[in-house]
Amino acid sequence: MRRLPVYLLLDTSGSMSGEPIEAVKNGVQIMISTLRQNPQAIETAYLSVITFDSTAQQIIPLTDLATFQMVDLRASGTTALGAALSLVAERIDNEVMSTTLERKGDWKPLVFIMTDGIPTDDWRQGLNAFSSKKTAFTVACAAGSGVDTSILKQITENVVSLDTADSSSISKFFTWVTASIGVTSTKIEDSGKEIGSLSELPPPPSEINIVV
Amino acid sequence: MLHSYLKALLSSHNIEVTESKESILNIFVEDFKEEIEKAIQINKNLVDKYQIRNKIKDITGQWVSLPNATVGKAYQHKVDIIGLGWDTMVFTSMEGLDELGMAYDNENEIISGTPSFSGDHKIKFLYRLQGEDDQVINEKVFNFIVNPNPRSLWKNIGSNTDDIYWKADEIFDNQKLGDRQIVVASKRGRSHANAGTFRDDDFAFKHFANTGWSIISVADGAGSASQARQGSKIACRSVIDYTEEYFKGEKLVEFDQVLAQHHHNSTDETNKYISTFVYESLSKMAYYAHKKIEEEAVRCERSIKDYHTTLIFTLLKRYEFGYAVLTFGVGDCPIGLLNKELTEIKLMNWLDVGEFGGGTRFVTMPEIFSSDKFVSRFRFKLVDDFSYLMLMTDGIYDPKFIVEANLERIEKWKEFIADLKGSNEENTVVDFNPENENIGQQLSTWLDFWSSGNHDDRTLAIIY
Repeated sequence: MRRLPVYLLLDTSGSMSGEPIEAVKNGVQIMISTLRQNPQAIETAYLSVITFDSTAQQIIPLTDLATFQMVDLRASGTTALGAALSLVAERIDNEVMSTTLERKGDWKPLVFIMTDGIPTDDWRQGLNAFSSKKTAFTVACAAGSGVDTSILKQITENVVSLDTADSSSISKFFTWVTASIGVTSTKIEDSGKEIGSLSELPPPPSEINIVV
Repeated sequence: MLHSYLKALLSSHNIEVTESKESILNIFVEDFKEEIEKAIQINKNLVDKYQIRNKIKDITGQWVSLPNATVGKAYQHKVDIIGLGWDTMVFTSMEGLDELGMAYDNENEIISGTPSFSGDHKIKFLYRLQGEDDQVINEKVFNFIVNPNPRSLWKNIGSNTDDIYWKADEIFDNQKLGDRQIVVASKRGRSHANAGTFRDDDFAFKHFANTGWSIISVADGAGSASQARQGSKIACRSVIDYTEEYFKGEKLVEFDQVLAQHHHNSTDETNKYISTFVYESLSKMAYYAHKKIEEEAVRCERSIKDYHTTLIFTLLKRYEFGYAVLTFGVGDCPIGLLNKELTEIKLMNWLDVGEFGGGTRFVTMPEIFSSDKFVSRFRFKLVDDFSYLMLMTDGIYDPKFIVEANLERIEKWKEFIADLKGSNEENTVVDFNPENENIGQQLSTWLDFWSSGNHDDRTLAIIY
């Protein structure tokens, strides 16, 4: 079976502590229980969580929704977005199966990045590694006003922003991510085609601004 | 021990016992032995009680997760009391499992049973630590995720019967086809049923007693094309119509003669005649299908792209010396011809499969007719006999053969036939006895097989 890999890159730097990190945790949890009700998603979507603060780590490897369990998130340290991009590139190489004569590989992965600050490491180096990987699409979300969206724009053309990193906006973002994963899993099963751009995803709610 | 306890007590009051005072201390310990022993006991109790509170606080804050369960699936999990560092627990119990149809065995700390409904359940874990009074019960909440049975999530919403292009969500047929039998079934995929949309696959077949030829067609409308269900229908029907209307007369008589000659003594000349005949006849049929769909698109003021569909078809005729099998294919639906002994598979077309979706070609694309590859879309085979001739859509080929390379492997086809005959999870049997009149229904039931991630429309035609 062809899996639909989804990578969540979540900023857990010190500035996320308190309400934002709780909202992220909650958002992921609600996302999982919603997707579990979607027959296409529960069969095809596989989820991994990578967090980044002073370093990046994959706290949950690519896991099917039925066995997925959220772990605790704590916020501290700086914003190693570059390390997170390098790590996801490496994980895509290791976890996403390519098509061979003997088997059909996985669908191209979806990547969602959420950050509330400016990278504190060499993000360009991470971006180089990440850009060489095939993804269906990458969405970067700038949570609050402390983000330089022009950096995110260099990572992906699909950049959205939240005016404030409060729990209501963050939960809206995860609701939209949930709908996007749902739509993608339905579409690939229905037509065997992948989604390549933001315009094919459900329209984001008004709390989410599309950065042009 | 009493001695050192007292010394420490005095020290905590900044009273140091110097060497010269040691003798007083010794006598003091003797005189107040009982009191000191009591004090030691009281202190120890306080420390133990504090440690219990401390442990409870740690347990409450500990991130503990139970592996997820699935509705209807047997579940068993041993709570790893030692591994969690809970070795001082003297009693454990759980509340909230009964409602799910599950139980907790507190002797062995095992949760087991088959959960009856899904959700993010909260299970109360009750426990008592060593040193606590018998009536004390502490509580910790476990999150227990029970997944729905994925099969129960698929809805079956009927398609809109008022639609101008409505077609039945499922259909099957079985008949005599010349001297052979045909069984064919086509069923809407679960992804369409879940959304209440239409079946995009189609099929048609006919035997012409006057010429001895039979034709079988199968088509898969593109999921992304809004009117694909009608595209596939027109494609299948129009090749039948064309055969009825134009595939007759002198040219067939001549073909029969050349074929007999070819069978007796195959020459470059007979080969060339046959390929020209196959190409000319079948390309006209395919083009006729294209034109018919185009006419419909024009009539409805739509783009022909809205009707995108693949198309495979086979012409078949019985001769004294065997069967002539002529095929055409565009798209990703295979035609397989299995010899009598099931030792050889002849794949009668190549598949248009792209690296990333979108690679498929459709009969509705005008460019396929002018492409260099067009001539390679035809096949001819003269065989003494055959066991099965099969035409299928990718809704069958994807789950059952997975990759194109497997279509060339006789072992995979043998597995496929065994699967049809009942070697499958659901124990559904298709009985190929020519006397079996229920075979259409049987094949239709077989099409319900479960395959995760494969919920496309399924169409399978078998000549046997």
